[in-house]
Amino acid sequence: MKLIADRLDRISPSLTIAMTTKARALKAAGRDIIGLASGEPDFDTPRNVKDAAIAAIERGETKYTDVAGTPALRQAVCSRLKADHGIEFKPEEILIATGGKQVIFDALLATINPGDECIIPAPCWVSYPDIVELAEGKPVIVACDQNSGFKLRPEQLEAAITPKTKWFLLNNPCNPTGAAYNAAELKALTDVLMRHPDVWIFTDDIYGKLAYDGFRPATILEVEPRLRDRTVTMNGVSKAYAMTGWRIGYAAAPVALIKQMDKLQSQSTSNTSSVSQAAAVEALTGPQEFIGVMGEAYKRRRDMVVEMLNAAPGLHCLKPEGAFYVFPSMTGCIGKTTAGGVKITDDETFCTALLEETGVACVHGAAFMYPGHFRISYATSDANLKEACTRIQKFCASMH
Amino acid sequence: MPDLAQRLNNVQVSPSAAMTAKAREMRARGINVISLANGEPDFASPPHAIEAAYQAALKGDTKYPPQGGTPALKAAIARKFKRDNNLDYGPDEIIVGNGGKQVIFNGFMATIDPGDEVVIPSPFWVSYADMAKVAGGVPVTVSCPQNNGFKPRPEDIDAAITPRTKWVMLNFPGNPTGAVPSRTELAAIGEVLLRHPHVWILSDDMYEHLLYDGHKFSTIAEVTPGLKDRTLTVNGCSKTYAMTGWRIGFGGAPARLIKGMFNMQGQATAGVSSIGQAAAAAALDGPQELVEERRAIYEQRRDMVVEMLNAAPGVTCHKPEGAFYVFPNLAGCLGKTSKGGRTIESDTDFVAALLEEKHVACVQGAAYGLSPHMRVSYATDTASITEACGRIQEFCRELR
Repeated sequence: MKLIADRLDRISPSLTIAMTTKARALKAAGRDIIGLASGEPDFDTPRNVKDAAIAAIERGETKYTDVAGTPALRQAVCSRLKADHGIEFKPEEILIATGGKQVIFDALLATINPGDECIIPAPCWVSYPDIVELAEGKPVIVACDQNSGFKLRPEQLEAAITPKTKWFLLNNPCNPTGAAYNAAELKALTDVLMRHPDVWIFTDDIYGKLAYDGFRPATILEVEPRLRDRTVTMNGVSKAYAMTGWRIGYAAAPVALIKQMDKLQSQSTSNTSSVSQAAAVEALTGPQEFIGVMGEAYKRRRDMVVEMLNAAPGLHCLKPEGAFYVFPSMTGCIGKTTAGGVKITDDETFCTALLEETGVACVHGAAFMYPGHFRISYATSDANLKEACTRIQKFCASMH
Repeated sequence: MPDLAQRLNNVQVSPSAAMTAKAREMRARGINVISLANGEPDFASPPHAIEAAYQAALKGDTKYPPQGGTPALKAAIARKFKRDNNLDYGPDEIIVGNGGKQVIFNGFMATIDPGDEVVIPSPFWVSYADMAKVAGGVPVTVSCPQNNGFKPRPEDIDAAITPRTKWVMLNFPGNPTGAVPSRTELAAIGEVLLRHPHVWILSDDMYEHLLYDGHKFSTIAEVTPGLKDRTLTVNGCSKTYAMTGWRIGFGGAPARLIKGMFNMQGQATAGVSSIGQAAAAAALDGPQELVEERRAIYEQRRDMVVEMLNAAPGVTCHKPEGAFYVFPNLAGCLGKTSKGGRTIESDTDFVAALLEEKHVACVQGAAYGLSPHMRVSYATDTASITEACGRIQEFCRELR
């Protein structure tokens, strides 16, 4: 009798882990490695947030909370959504989870029946299709053109919707492209969704605070409030407040769905850390200047990285609106041979050779269901980025 | 609203969480509720754990933690298993989850295919059955008679195992009864399990350090070493160190199961709060005197609660060996009417009337698979317990 469940076979092996493992091994062997693969801010959590966590511990806030989160944090989420997007939520429409990932997990497992289709614009964070598969749903991947700024066009969405469609999942701004939708662009998509009342909508706004040059990413419900009874708005404190390790994400959704998510969570993990919840209250309601300071640094780095990558032969890099990633195309390098004698056949051979020959670690596009590209995270120091991009330029220039 | 998944149709919200939430809500309305519903120590987390959390936050240990646990915490867990249980687990045989609950959830989701059976000695922590159902499994309960001290009989477990059995659950000291078999009794269960090599065994040892009257703890993988390569040994910091809010549970198991659980956790929540992990490592490695001091206090409370409940007309309370629960029988109260005019026809009626009229929250035995009982947690301060037991006595005296 086999001992492991079929559901795990449906999850794709992590393509990023192989690359990260290799980078770690090279580093351990003494090589000078620059990691541009990480999906987290290089900033530390703001001091006022840490102090709030410590104060909570000292007050004895080390006990179970309600599964869906403390009243204080659920209220803080309501206030933040009101302030940022002008949307009114009540605390019972909010659920606090262990990272945005658990929000996705809770929402999809609470709704997907076997065979239900979920539309996911690609490039995408691979956890979306994986969690859909885990829930026995069917990911429907819709590729977005680089020429459209990696954004889904309304006619593509319309064409992908079938009677089996259960979800439309949007990540705005997007990991790995940094592409973001403004209100007008989103409205074109919500007009399509208005015609399909049986489709749930999931908007992952985790990078929502990270946009540059005055660009303001919109969220589904501010452009189309009539979708409210079937939209999950997901966000968290990981990216905006450099709090990845604290593991706090949240959902705003109709009460009926929140109740189901609460039920699932009560049987899988219960509440998330009480200490982290107290920290998140301070992050959401305390001073917000940190985000601006961090955003300045990200913008400066993005501009430098895009410029330097576009100077590398064979690469083409869009300047995205947000997040802390760029997603250059490397198809101009395919068929060439590196200085180390490796023939570049695809994005994976490119990233592997780049790592082995120059010590720069990136993630190849296939890991985001979009080959021919690679992802660079610029959530690292300016000096590191400059050195890494210089190495990439040399790597590309030395190909023949 | 688009429809929801059938997966959760037969799953209930954790009843103790529901009762606790209700008590909290009544308290927020200014009602003096004493909750004996929750399995949560009333003590503070150990000072050295708090200090470790503080230091971790200050030094910027606020990044994504490794998905299966930090190396430091896994090393501390390995030392704990060796020290307390004489069990050897390597780093690839240990996983850290958001509470023991997630460790069990991961174990089930990684192994259970639709229709697989999970054998659960009853009365039992109800989440076992609900988690099995979320994973598509079928809970099969084995009744543990009160005249056997609520302990499972080996022959009953043997009879419940079929070719479809995937798991056998063991939980000693048990929630909700506090029952603890002797080493000899456990070995007899081990003998049965040795004869069924297709079955995984889950030993939930969360209450390991809460044993009274000189009882000694043993766990199945230690008592019957031949079972270790198919046993998941679950433990955590919540009960032993009064760290419920931090959400740190862990499991030791063969590497192939841990790998499946790791993959599952990667899709559900990723890693556990970095701050919580630092606190947990300190709790496991630090001075252990608090554990014994608190155990002695729990033992005094148990004696008092059992005595006071047995003085309530219609209630008979067995004195358990461990945990911080008693599970009194309410048969003598059925068919009566409360002072507030509520008819008591079941344990569910009893706890509802008790909460409304005397503002004491307990959980009905039905939630644990055995009626007419209720679970009374004495993990709250002695004064509150005394007051609550007084109110229960009064409630019972007033029944007509």
